[in-house]
This record gives sequence, C-alpha cells and structure tokens, in this order.
Amino acid sequence: MRVNFKIWRQESHQEEGSFKDYSVDNITSDMSLLEALDYLNETLVLKDEKVVAFDYDCREGICGQCGIFVNGRAHGPHDNTTTCQVHMRSFEDGQTIVLEPWRARAFPIVKDLIVDRSALDRIIQKNGYITVKTGGAGEANSILVAKKDADKAMDAAACIGCGACIATCKNSSASLFTAAKINHLDHLPQGKLETNERVMAMVSQMELENFGSCSFTGACEIECPQSISITEIARMNNLFLKAKLTKE
Amino acid sequence: MLINRKYIMAITGLFLCIFLIVHLSANFLLLLPNNLAKEAYNTYSHLLRNNPLISAVSILLYLAIIFHSVMALIITLDNKKAKPQKYFMNYAQQNSSWNSRNMGLLGLMILIFIIVHMANFWAKVKLGYGPELPIDSKGQIDIYSVVVTTLKNPFITLFYTILSIPLAMHLHHGVQSAAKTLGLYHKRYLKYVALIATFYSCVMGLGFGLIPLYIYFFSQG
Ligand code: HEM
Ligand code: FES
Repeated sequence: MRVNFKIWRQESHQEEGSFKDYSVDNITSDMSLLEALDYLNETLVLKDEKVVAFDYDCREGICGQCGIFVNGRAHGPHDNTTTCQVHMRSFEDGQTIVLEPWRARAFPIVKDLIVDRSALDRIIQKNGYITVKTGGAGEANSILVAKKDADKAMDAAACIGCGACIATCKNSSASLFTAAKINHLDHLPQGKLETNERVMAMVSQMELENFGSCSFTGACEIECPQSISITEIARMNNLFLKAKLTKE
Repeated sequence: MLINRKYIMAITGLFLCIFLIVHLSANFLLLLPNNLAKEAYNTYSHLLRNNPLISAVSILLYLAIIFHSVMALIITLDNKKAKPQKYFMNYAQQNSSWNSRNMGLLGLMILIFIIVHMANFWAKVKLGYGPELPIDSKGQIDIYSVVVTTLKNPFITLFYTILSIPLAMHLHHGVQSAAKTLGLYHKRYLKYVALIATFYSCVMGLGFGLIPLYIYFFSQG
C-alpha cells in the first residue's frame, strides 16, 4: 500500500517545528506503524535526508517508551493500545497519516516526535516508593496481602508511564499517572504506612511540573494502553483530602 | 494547589446545585392557576425576603457564584497554559464528551444568564431599579406580575429557555465530576451518581426551560 505521512519535524526544543509530507510506497498491511516509519527512514537515509526521530524500546506494548499522536488520537486510532501495537492494516491505501509529538507544556520536545517525559520521573522521585532498608529479600509471607488488594495494586501498577493520559488530556493533566503510582503503593501494607506523605509530595510535584488539573473528561482512560481507570484519580483525590484533614 | 481549587469548584458547584432544586421547586408555584399562583408566589417571596436565615444563606449563595466563577476562570486559564500548542488533528470526541471538554464555555453562558436574570428580577426587587413595583391585595410586592410581565417579552422567554440547555449540560458533567473530585471512587456508587446526574440535569433543564414558555403562553399578570 501507499500512505502519505504528515509528520511534525522539529530539530530541538528551542527551534520552531513544522509538518512535512512524505509519500511512502511498498508499505504492507501487516507492518506495524513503527516499521513503516523505519522504512520511511531507510528511504530518507538513502536520499541523505535527516531521519524522523521517534521513541520506542520493546515494540511489544509493555515498556511505555513509544508514544505518538496518530491521526488525532494518542497512540493511534484504537482505544487502550500503545503506538507500537498499531499496524498499517488500521489505515487505508492512500490515506494521510498525521503524526504529532505529545503536546504538553511539561513535555518539551527533544526532536521530531520525541518528547522529554522526565517530569514523570521527578513525580515518582517524590516519595513514589517505600522506605525500606535494602538487603536480602525478606520472607515473602511475613506480610500477608489479601488477593483482592494485590489485584487492585496490580491494576494501578500496570501503568507503563507512556504519557498518553497527559498527551490526550485537554489540560495536560498528569492525574491518571500520579494517581496510579499513589494507589499502587497505597493498596499494599508496605506502602500504606507512608500514604499521607506520599500523596502530598507527589501531588505537589505534579503541580510544580506545570501539568493542568483534572476535569474528568475521561479521555485518559480511553487512551491508556493499560486501561487504568479514571476512578484511580477519584481515589487519589480521596487520599489527598484525608491526608490534608489529618495533617499534624 | 491544583486539587484544592477543584475541591472549591466541587463544593461551591454542589451548593449551587442544591440551591437550584429549591429555586425550581418554588418556581413550580408559577404553574398553579393564575390567582392561586399569584398569591402563593407573592407570599413565598415575601417570606423569603423577611427571613434573616434566608438572607444569610443568600450571601453564601452570592459568594458561591463568585468563588465558583473566579476559580473556573483561574482553572480554565491554567489548564490552557498547560497545553500551549494544540494538536493539528484531534478526535477528542472519540474519547470524551463535549460537555466535559467545555465546562468553561458552558459556565460562561450560565454566568451571562445569571447576570441577565438578576437584572430582570433581583435588581428590581432588592435594589429598587426600574419603575415602582406593583403591590398585591395583601400589600406584598406583586412579584408574580413582575415575573409574568417580564416573560411576556418573547425575547426574554426565548433567552431563558435556550440558556436552560447549557445549564443542563453543565450540570450533567458537573455533578459527576464533583463526586470524583471529592473522592468518591467506587464504581458502583459512581454509576448511581451518573444516573442521578442525568435525572437531575434533565429535570433542571426542562423545568427552567419550560416554565418561562408556560408563562409566556398561559399566564396573566
Ligand atoms: C447555577 C450555576 C452553576 C452550577 C450549579 C454549577 C455546578 C458545577 C459543578 C457541580 C461543577 C463540578 C465541579 C468539579 O469538577 O469538581 C462545576 C464545574 C465547573 N463550573 Fe460550574 N456551576 C454553575 C455555574 C458556573 C458558572 C457561572 C461558571 C463560569 C463562569 C462555571 C464554570 C465551571 C467550570 C469551568 C467547571 C469545570 C472546572 C474543571 O475544569 O474541572 N460554572 N460546576
Ligand atoms: S515500544 Fe514498548 S510499549 Fe511501545
């Protein structure tokens, strides 16, 4: 098949960017979108042009490294998938495919379709962990965790930090991400002990990073590759309120 | 902080939601046969005006509107700042409702409505603007005829009726959003909240939208 890519090209955060059109032949429908971009890049190399920069790692939908706004949707036309899991059969022969980087004040563009998501790392660095002494692994059964709590923790822990929630949110709010990280630990006895400090610290950091606030449009849970529920955000608000009211 | 502001939005919003229930219930008095409606509405209005508790609550009400609107402005501007560059192509309608994405715009329409509404009635009764108000047989301000005379103007009636639509839209998302903002996260309860929000916003929209039309066509001052 033949597709027309319309791709955002930008040298760096400081420079202005713009769209560039590329017509690519010999695409097969079983290629992934990223393979089609690899193929485009090969042709660009042969023509001595600059390749399109885009992020990826596993290409298996598990690492969260990929992330492109494809034809008006974060991670492409399907709900709850990563960009690397989008295949060319999702598009029609001759179709124009618009590729844009995640747009958010908190995500400066590194190059072309790559953005700097370290704001998310800095949120996790603010108490997004539990304070335990490292050393030999403890006896696994010394702290019992009910199956239902373990399941809830896992639902939240599934977040791969891709940033699609922020990309799709009209407010570029990082609420779904932050809530997932907070709730994941709060469901477990080891994490619960520090929930109050954690929720305060992580929410403050989220604000410092220039993310917007949550309007509960629900776009995030539709685009999240891990189907993390928007009720996680409501739960974070709940924990935050409790932490505020019981602050010493 | 981000969430604090949202708590203020939610609490003031829900307070306004409760006020709307009271307000609409009272307006149903206007649907009684003319004479009954006149007496009931004037007496109701008279009791409200002379009750110190109501005066205190009304101050809360003005504050709620002001806080809700000012916070709305701050939040909306900040949210816009967080996404300085919009997407060239964005199918937001595939992942979220229009209402939820346009609460600021819907709220602005409601604010315009509130201002016109207060100019129509509140300014005349409370501030004494405009011509001398009519008095009914009991010596109370005949607010009923003020309402009916005002709404005999087709443009005003149309304005009220049309603006009940953004009100319903704002409320439909607002009630559900407020529940989540305040920390209600159980999926089962949120389903009930969604049902309540639908029912509530329909009743408010239809109530505030149809009463002016009824008055325009059927009532006599
Ligand atoms: C009778 C009048 C009103 C009622 C009952 C009402 C109710 C509500 C409720 C319950 C919420 C949800 C709060 C939350 O998300 O936690 C809300 C949100 C909102 N309201 Fe109102 N509201 C009214 C008037 C207004 C006015 C006059 C404005 C603007 C001038 C406004 C602007 C907004 C905005 C922008 C939001 C969403 C904030 C966000 O993005 O999360 N509202 N409203
Ligand atoms: S590259 Fe790992 S999730 Fe897409």
